[in-house]
Amino acid sequence: MLTTFKLRDFRCFAALETEFASGTNVIVGPNAQGKTSLLEAACVLLRLQSPRSGSLAPLVRIDAAGFVVDGFYSGNHLQFYFSPRRKKLALDSVEQRTAAEYLKIGRVVWFSNGDIALVRGAAEERRRYLDFVAAQLDPGYRRNLRNYETALRSRNRLLKMPHPRWREIAAFDEPLLDSGMALTQARRVLIAALEPHAMESQLAIGGAVGETLGLQYQPGCGEDFAANLEASRKEDLRLRQTRVGPHRDELILKLNGLGSELASEGQQRTLALALRLAQTRLIAAQTGTLPLLLLDDIFGELDPARRNALLAHLPKGAQQIITTTHLDWAQTEIERVFRLENRTLTGIR
Amino acid sequence: MKRVEYPAPLKQLVAQLKRMPGIGPRSAERIALWMVSARNARPGEIAAAIASMSETVRPCPQCGFFTTEPLCEICADEARESELLCVVEEATDILPLERTGAFRGRYHALGGRISPLDHVGPDDLRIDALVERVRKEHPTEVILALGSDVEGEATANYLAGLLREFPVKLTRIAQGLPAGGGLEHADELTLSRALSGRVKV
Repeated sequence: MLTTFKLRDFRCFAALETEFASGTNVIVGPNAQGKTSLLEAACVLLRLQSPRSGSLAPLVRIDAAGFVVDGFYSGNHLQFYFSPRRKKLALDSVEQRTAAEYLKIGRVVWFSNGDIALVRGAAEERRRYLDFVAAQLDPGYRRNLRNYETALRSRNRLLKMPHPRWREIAAFDEPLLDSGMALTQARRVLIAALEPHAMESQLAIGGAVGETLGLQYQPGCGEDFAANLEASRKEDLRLRQTRVGPHRDELILKLNGLGSELASEGQQRTLALALRLAQTRLIAAQTGTLPLLLLDDIFGELDPARRNALLAHLPKGAQQIITTTHLDWAQTEIERVFRLENRTLTGIR
Repeated sequence: MKRVEYPAPLKQLVAQLKRMPGIGPRSAERIALWMVSARNARPGEIAAAIASMSETVRPCPQCGFFTTEPLCEICADEARESELLCVVEEATDILPLERTGAFRGRYHALGGRISPLDHVGPDDLRIDALVERVRKEHPTEVILALGSDVEGEATANYLAGLLREFPVKLTRIAQGLPAGGGLEHADELTLSRALSGRVKV
């Protein structure tokens, strides 16, 4: 549970300090006041990454050198300083050389009003979803992902040179294969573990009775990564980029055996929510702790039935921080309400 | 009103100090003021040490380590086993290996590693010189002691590809548990590499 929470020079906030309650916390306020940025800061505090941005540099307030997020989660003191030149993290006031111990403290699920992109958007959206979940369940995943990206970008940079030299390109094959095969295996296991949770969630929040939801993994490296990488050399050279590998992975969503692009808008929204709920349940099941739920302005687009079904199916006892422009939808118990206006957060209830 | 500043020579010193790694404007100013005013500063000795260093110390033409002689101490040492050649990324990697006392061969520092993302290719490194040494010195074993990150592995693969045509045994240093450490503190990757690099007892 996140209690004391402070930030400095984060997005639009020069400084802010607050105290969250257990259960449901709601932040109300007009648009463009930084509600989403507050949730983002909570996510960065726990996971050292943002669901909105690949790099953390844009999160530093304009004219500031770096940002600080600082808070207590389940009694552990987390502190993270980031500037484009330097990163520093501390757990219970002890500076950490690696993020390994720090990242064991808290997990996060981020529900966003843009989540429908999980269903409708490009494959990259679903890969990012998988990465965000996997990194929270498997401490080695982040390193494999980082190594894979370094090897892939290096290889592609070499392929794009005016006169690509194959010996140099091939030198990156082994690190690419090592990390890529580890990623493929981790994603395969993750998708299999998510599927039953996604199916139950889909039924719980408004899927029709008898409706089936399937999660299917389509690895971008094919059956045999090493053989396919070898076989695609000529094409790689012609197109000047690496054409096989987990950066081409796809997570196929099937509703009643049909592709999700054929589903109605309502079904697609339900599906996106089901994926988030499945993530929540899987994290709870595998780590034995409830993740912090960050719900960013998602109630405006949901009809009352889906809204209530979702609230009813969030795990009991999980702490939630919800942003919204108005409170009319709220029928559930709310622990604390904050108002965010003019960059200040005030508790109003 | 004109803003008062430090005299020009002092400002120049601060500007020069600021160029050093890890020294920001505040530290540069502190060091310069210390040189000006501390009783035991003896800035002349510092200046002399810098001047003599930059005149006499240069990289060994053979291995890349630091030396004041035509060859460095290691390369000039006849008692060294010329059958063993240890390849490292930087000249600064040599001393930690020397301090172990476990290696009695010679070294070759590449001056970096292949890193396309930093625009460093094989031609920017002392790789041709390495191949030349292997051709002339006929070592029986070349030990690749490079980093275990993506670029370090790629550089090792690249060198392995080049050196395969020579009658020389190619090895890589093992990766594994820190000495004196228990298993519970090791991360998964270290453990899995330690496991795959296990030795017979």
